[in-house]
Amino acid sequence: MENLKLQSEKINTAVSTIIGLGGTGILQCVQCGACSAVCPGVRAGFPVLCRLLIRKILDGQLDEIIEDSSSWGCQACNRCTEVCPQGVRPQEVVFAFRRYQAGELAVSTSTTTSQMNMYEVGHAVFTDAQELRQQVGLPAKAPTSAYNETAQKEIQTLLNNSSMAELGLF
Amino acid sequence: MAKVGVYVCHCGTNIAGVIDVEAVRAHAETLPEVAVARKDLFMCSDSGQEMIKQDIRDGLVDRVVVAACTPRTHEPIFRAALEAGGLNKYLFEMANIRDQDSWVHANDPEGATAKAKKLMASAVGKAARLQPLEDKFVDVTKAALVIGGGVGGIFSALELADMGYPTYLVEKEPSIGGVMAMLDKTFPTNDCSACILTPVMVDAGNHPNVKLMTYSEVEDVDGYIGNFTVKVRRKQTYIDWQKCTGCGACAEACPVRTTNEFNQGMDKRPAAYIHFPQAVPKKAVVDMEHCINCAGRKLGQEPKISKKTGKPMLAPCELACPADAINRSLPLDPQGRIEEIKVGSIVVATGFQVMDKGWFKEMAPEHPNVITALQLERLISATGPTGGNLYMPSTADKKPKTMTFVSCMGSRDEKFHTYCSRVCCMYMIKQARLLKEKYPHMNIYMHFIDVRTAGKDYDEYYVGARKMGVNILKGKVGGLQIIDDHRLRVLAYDMEAGTPVEYESDLVVLATAIELPESAKKLAQTLGLQFCGSNFFKELHPKLGPVETSTRGIFLAGCCQGPKDIPDTVSQAKGAAGAAAVPLAQGKVKIEPILSEVITELCSGCGICVPLCPYDAITLKIHAEKPRAEIDITQCKGCGVCTSACPSAAIVLHGYEDEQIYAQIAALTA
Repeated sequence: MENLKLQSEKINTAVSTIIGLGGTGILQCVQCGACSAVCPGVRAGFPVLCRLLIRKILDGQLDEIIEDSSSWGCQACNRCTEVCPQGVRPQEVVFAFRRYQAGELAVSTSTTTSQMNMYEVGHAVFTDAQELRQQVGLPAKAPTSAYNETAQKEIQTLLNNSSMAELGLF
Repeated sequence: MAKVGVYVCHCGTNIAGVIDVEAVRAHAETLPEVAVARKDLFMCSDSGQEMIKQDIRDGLVDRVVVAACTPRTHEPIFRAALEAGGLNKYLFEMANIRDQDSWVHANDPEGATAKAKKLMASAVGKAARLQPLEDKFVDVTKAALVIGGGVGGIFSALELADMGYPTYLVEKEPSIGGVMAMLDKTFPTNDCSACILTPVMVDAGNHPNVKLMTYSEVEDVDGYIGNFTVKVRRKQTYIDWQKCTGCGACAEACPVRTTNEFNQGMDKRPAAYIHFPQAVPKKAVVDMEHCINCAGRKLGQEPKISKKTGKPMLAPCELACPADAINRSLPLDPQGRIEEIKVGSIVVATGFQVMDKGWFKEMAPEHPNVITALQLERLISATGPTGGNLYMPSTADKKPKTMTFVSCMGSRDEKFHTYCSRVCCMYMIKQARLLKEKYPHMNIYMHFIDVRTAGKDYDEYYVGARKMGVNILKGKVGGLQIIDDHRLRVLAYDMEAGTPVEYESDLVVLATAIELPESAKKLAQTLGLQFCGSNFFKELHPKLGPVETSTRGIFLAGCCQGPKDIPDTVSQAKGAAGAAAVPLAQGKVKIEPILSEVITELCSGCGICVPLCPYDAITLKIHAEKPRAEIDITQCKGCGVCTSACPSAAIVLHGYEDEQIYAQIAALTA
């Protein structure tokens, strides 16, 4: 393993970047590890989440981990925030790091399909459940943008005017 | 006209880093009442004080103003300098240009300097009008009160008693001993807790100068240093302690089974019970809240007469008592009785409680095999519910194969307490070591944010646990999942490996935080104690006044002042006893003459001041056949309520006279 070179400029940049993008509690972290103990993402094999992600940012390693796909393993369950004894809100740090990655176009390929779905039908993940709904006596089509062209147009207009459009995916 | 000397202090850079000290000094010279204006790097230093003394001796000044820090810490120093120079020490006034100026206006040097000039000028205005005053002295009651009969309270009481002062030791439970009596062994020597505590408890019980008042609570405190009057409620024991021999026959006969607090709720005790086997005093009480009034006979009723035998049908406890100490026919007052005692100083040693596991929802608190560390302490104690055998609480007789210790439950956690409870790391290591010694094949996993072992021989004790094969993991446990009635899944994290950890455990011990019990908060109101940011009792000064409080004559010892282990508690208890003995040894206490006084000639005897006084210090007495107000200087606190309310302006508050205050206002608004 290569030696870690600690540089105050890199540390300051990394911390202020994450705080600026919404990870405002990062400096409160005492590295107890409770967040990673309950994180389903860490368990599923995405190590640079919660505790380790915060550690790497506090070491100024923003560029070094920019291509790491761990952050996209966050399921947004927020258990980390529940168990954190210091009010760090680790999920917000993860999301801030994702925003940083997205801004640098270092978006995991695993997210492209979800984003395209979002653009086309208004759902990141969408399952057409018409048959199932009919079986249980519900109208086949759920009242959602998936079956509503006007709503889809509106969503596309919104997305085209948001910072997501800058990623050039749609 | 008065000749005021003004001395402006740099306080290193504390003041001079913000305020232009020379400008303040130069401004003083322009004030008509100022005779001399000087400055120094540290006015409180020998050379600074000498400057003041010399000016007094040279006849240059007859009033002194020091513009520096706070009178709370430094007024006594400068008053002493005045006295040494030959001037009445009350001809002194301090202007606080540090705490109230340079520290709070660090970003505005110009504004701070302007404010310093005003504060100094205001002090000069007052100083020029000060009158010489004389200290007053009153006799003290040479006795002490210690509240709380844990290890801290016991040692405070024994120290005071050994110095020859009659000492009352008040404890709310039936026996002294406190939490230490519940512990199995103590770190870092593995001394048996009962073996080292019991002799000290017995000493306290037998000492001719210690008066034990157990099963009692302090209800009211009146008075001041040297002369406190304390009302102690002696709770109703329902058993005549003069006759009770502590044989325990009543407890054996009593059919009730209710929660046993001493065993942390892990077994049951009768309603008639002895606190614990080594209790001092070893006396039984009846917990009337849980007494079932056998045979439907309420307390105070004569027993029914048996038709068969013609004899009275007594309750089992009455029948069992060989000493005739229980008589349920007596109309005993459930409130007990109030005993009034007089003491000169008070040591508060009310201890702590540990947080309940119920607070920690992610730790499966409803599962029987999740327990607090204090519950484990009872489980491994020979006097505990299992006779010292470590059985899983979900079973009657099975030992755990795998055990887990979880640190920092409610400590270092902004949702509960941000402070470190200080003793948990060490007592968990102790428990793990004791168990590993007794059951070498048991798997023990301990999870710490980090291991804190600051103390003599503590780190060696911790490293010893590692050598014994106790598994120590860095990383806080995130949660527990219930597998079945007996097992739990631990969701943890190995910080060093950077990986999540998951395993099954048979018994999980939570090191729950130390906190101040609710009952102590009520006592704080009675005694006028303040709380610190962590909600413990606040000491006078965090470094230099660790046993004193802001109320003179009241001292602190042990965990009521903040979490600490047994050696620290005993040290503080002995320190508090030493400090509490000072006024008793002096025999007299000084009362500062900053008090209100009635000018009898001006008093009309209207009596308006009498009910207004918050300290009941004023009474109407007959002077030349007319009622006139009179102030008891031992009760007066110098608050000034009477002075401002008197319609005849007949009451003077010395040190804060009208003329002095007007001069201050004039200077501040100039």
